[in-house]
Amino acid sequence: MAQAALKNTSIEEFEKKQEWWWAAEKRRSSRLDYLRKAIWKKGAIGGLYAPGVKTDLEQAVLTTNMARSLENAPDPYVVKSAKIFAHVLDNKTIFITDHAQLVGYTGSLPHTMNWNPSIASILNAEVFNDPTSIPDPVDKNQAVIQDIVGYWAGKSDLDKMMPVFDMEDMMKMLSGSIGWGVPLARGGYSNKDYEYLMTGKRAFQEILEEIDKKIDEADELVHTPVANKEIALMYDKLNNWEAMKICLEAGIRIAKRYARLARIIAENFEEDPKRKEELLKIAAACERVPAHPPRTLQESFQYDIFIQMMSRTEAIEGAWPCRPDYYHGPYYDKDVNIDKTLTPEEALDLVGEFLIRAAEVCQFKPKFAREGLQGIDGTWVWTMGGVDANGRDACNDLTIAFMQAARLVRVANPTFAFRWHPHVQDKVMREVFECIRHGLGYPSIRHDPILIANAMHWHGHPIEEARLWVHQACMSPNPPTKHGYQPMRMANATANCAKIIEYVFTSGFDKIVNMQVGAETPDVTTFKDFEEFFAAWVTQMKTIFSILVRSVNRARVLAPTLTPRPFLSAISERSVESGLDTLDPSIARGNAWITAFTWVENADSLAAVKKLVFEEKKYTMAELKEALDKNWEGYEEMRLDFVKNAPKWGNDDDYVDSIMLRCLDECAKFSKEIKCPCGNNWPILPENVSGNIHYANIVGALPNGRRLGDALYDGGISPGPGLDKNGPTAVLKSCGKIDHITQGRAFLLNQRLSPTQLAGEKGYQLWRAYMRTWADLGLDHVQFNMVDDSTLRAAQKDPEKYQEVIVRVAGYSAHFVDISRKTQDNIIQRTVQGLG
Amino acid sequence: MATCKECKNFFPLTDNPAKGDCVQRVVDPRQAYYKSKPVNAEDDAASCPSFQKRS
Amino acid sequence: MKCTECGYEAPLSEFRYLYNARIDGSISIRQCKNCEQWLAVDELKGVALEKVTGGAAPWGKSAGIEGLAEDVKKKKRRSA
Repeated sequence: MAQAALKNTSIEEFEKKQEWWWAAEKRRSSRLDYLRKAIWKKGAIGGLYAPGVKTDLEQAVLTTNMARSLENAPDPYVVKSAKIFAHVLDNKTIFITDHAQLVGYTGSLPHTMNWNPSIASILNAEVFNDPTSIPDPVDKNQAVIQDIVGYWAGKSDLDKMMPVFDMEDMMKMLSGSIGWGVPLARGGYSNKDYEYLMTGKRAFQEILEEIDKKIDEADELVHTPVANKEIALMYDKLNNWEAMKICLEAGIRIAKRYARLARIIAENFEEDPKRKEELLKIAAACERVPAHPPRTLQESFQYDIFIQMMSRTEAIEGAWPCRPDYYHGPYYDKDVNIDKTLTPEEALDLVGEFLIRAAEVCQFKPKFAREGLQGIDGTWVWTMGGVDANGRDACNDLTIAFMQAARLVRVANPTFAFRWHPHVQDKVMREVFECIRHGLGYPSIRHDPILIANAMHWHGHPIEEARLWVHQACMSPNPPTKHGYQPMRMANATANCAKIIEYVFTSGFDKIVNMQVGAETPDVTTFKDFEEFFAAWVTQMKTIFSILVRSVNRARVLAPTLTPRPFLSAISERSVESGLDTLDPSIARGNAWITAFTWVENADSLAAVKKLVFEEKKYTMAELKEALDKNWEGYEEMRLDFVKNAPKWGNDDDYVDSIMLRCLDECAKFSKEIKCPCGNNWPILPENVSGNIHYANIVGALPNGRRLGDALYDGGISPGPGLDKNGPTAVLKSCGKIDHITQGRAFLLNQRLSPTQLAGEKGYQLWRAYMRTWADLGLDHVQFNMVDDSTLRAAQKDPEKYQEVIVRVAGYSAHFVDISRKTQDNIIQRTVQGLG
Repeated sequence: MATCKECKNFFPLTDNPAKGDCVQRVVDPRQAYYKSKPVNAEDDAASCPSFQKRS
Repeated sequence: MKCTECGYEAPLSEFRYLYNARIDGSISIRQCKNCEQWLAVDELKGVALEKVTGGAAPWGKSAGIEGLAEDVKKKKRRSA
């Protein structure tokens, strides 16, 4: 928008037109405006990174050089890993952006994407083959990359793991047809032991002292005149402790480098006294944390940013599990309400900047991840609200500040997920609703009592720990506690579930990747009744889930020795205490889950087959098989019959809903048969990110009427776009038939609401009434898009004008113009539910 | 031979002047910032495009 | 089927199938292999309807109450 038009239009006028992004721009402080516009947008568009965004070679070079220099060193592997980590932190370029009050970034410069070449050689190959993101001069840097790629070939984590995996499972998994990602301890979603780290009792220096004590005790033990197994194993623990110390000390040193830079700027360059003061405050914060526990809100945020930065130096993080209002809330209260050292407006600036610092984080990702997470780098779903360990309302003033800041900075990532419970105050719910009404697509709403019970049911977390849960990725709860926290959720336990029904028709042969992936179930035309057909479905489900889970289990067992995480271990109570790597299954309770992408197609397809083939006998199975083989080409009338004349999920129709429940029952039963190395269960969790688009060209035609190429449903337990014809209550009733405690780990529900209908106080009351029904029916999740058709179509037509329109894709939000046309159309065609 | 310690961008460590930081102002298309990288005082700066002789 | 843009004629299946965003409708998007234009196609009739441009809505409005308020307004205006 032209600056003059922006200046001449009032905030109220923009809000009336629901152009929230312009209203936000006028409403936010000049500092936030500068910092918000300073972000280099790093989410991939169409699988490609935006012009100007470049792969950061610095960490790659530092890592490789250090690895080379350590090749002949006598250090154990875990110590070498820690030394490489420390070398990167000690030597990387750091920067401080003008107007910033918080510092720390994963890459070396603001426009760069961090690349750690020691993790996966297949990722390294993608760096080499993506010339658009290679920094200038391309020829010279391509040679640098080639050297790095060559060095790590055969040495990366993945290369070390590959030979010790089951090769058949691995090939099926890497075909990309049934799962995505690879099972690596340094590539996925790491929760943190926030109860150890973020409760003000200790920080790095205090942990170092704890480790020193442990080392002293161990040293004494191994030198007593005795020999036994405990002593034999103690040397490994000593190595782990040493590695942890190296990481923590490096963490303190890099913070001091930031402090020093802030002082250099203040003393040598900055002329504005106010900014000088801010820089000195940054310096003081970085001298304090992460060495010691924070004292102020700024220090608390700074501490958190450093931890995230370091964790992303050690590993590729696809998520950002945290609960910032809970852990930073006491500092907000102290600074704003008690000591009054910060005004609410100053605090809001810090909160907004904290969101911005997260929004700019990016690590180079493989193409499948870029396509699956269109427009964002990872799913930073931040947990808000909820209850404390005693079950009391944990919402605080910072919860509200986060909601307000989100509306000011309007970043698509991080997003929030709000833990609703019956005691949440109305003023908090209003703030939550305002974010949704402003079209952010977040917070998603989570049912705290249901999910706490769920965490206890599936993984046996004690209630006090279950109550502290955070989102480990988009959806799955995980307590950030000593034994409860899961150090890595390996993303490849993500099942492309539409393949279950597809393989029933192909006897497990995958025509897209041209290999036998599923079980060799009998020819589908030989099935005499629906029960035989369903039995084949169960067999395919078990086969796919097992392939994915086996590889994760194997990787988890091998991780402590082959791919240790010394930094993550150093901030985990169980590792500091035991001397074992934090991935070691023996010291964790387990919190595994199978993400079930493209799930609802199964219920709709099974219902269509049951009704039209087995009951009404309108079509033979052979006819259906042929139509699917031909991708419904030439069978349009028949295809529409399968869409329109078979019951569809989301309409409160028991015919199809009972099939959904039966499928979930089978999965829940099997979830308790398959176990993780901690001995715990593998429940399923239906949700999609934008896997429904990624898999559009990987999943063949299905009996629900979908053709190869069409987007799959938008995921979780969301009905197919336009297929939920009986209104929002019917959707809730269908979803409410599922037992959200015992039938799976969580169930994503996308709903689209009308911004016109939900305007004003009346709109809020309509939404509250809807939410009461949602809560009463016991659903664990719901999230909303509230942008109308005309705005979205206008954004398609004139994307430059609508750069800031945000939509909820699935478990995350994205700027509408950054997602593919197919995804855009898929979102527009979702049913707009009328409430009331 | 020009070395880092002769450069305006070089800020030595108080406790170890043989080491220091190369601090530079950068204005990119989206933001302005100061960046810092550890260097040695005696590092060869002859081919450094950012070298500015300390007066 | 005939391409509305370049006049290229070929059986429906030779126009590359891209996707249909409304599974319960018979409008799809296909690509002409001659001029590479995206076309909205009526799958039942086997007819190309129009080219697909930015902001085009070949499936019409989304299901549900989208636009209800405007429709109500129009009705009110008409009745007044």
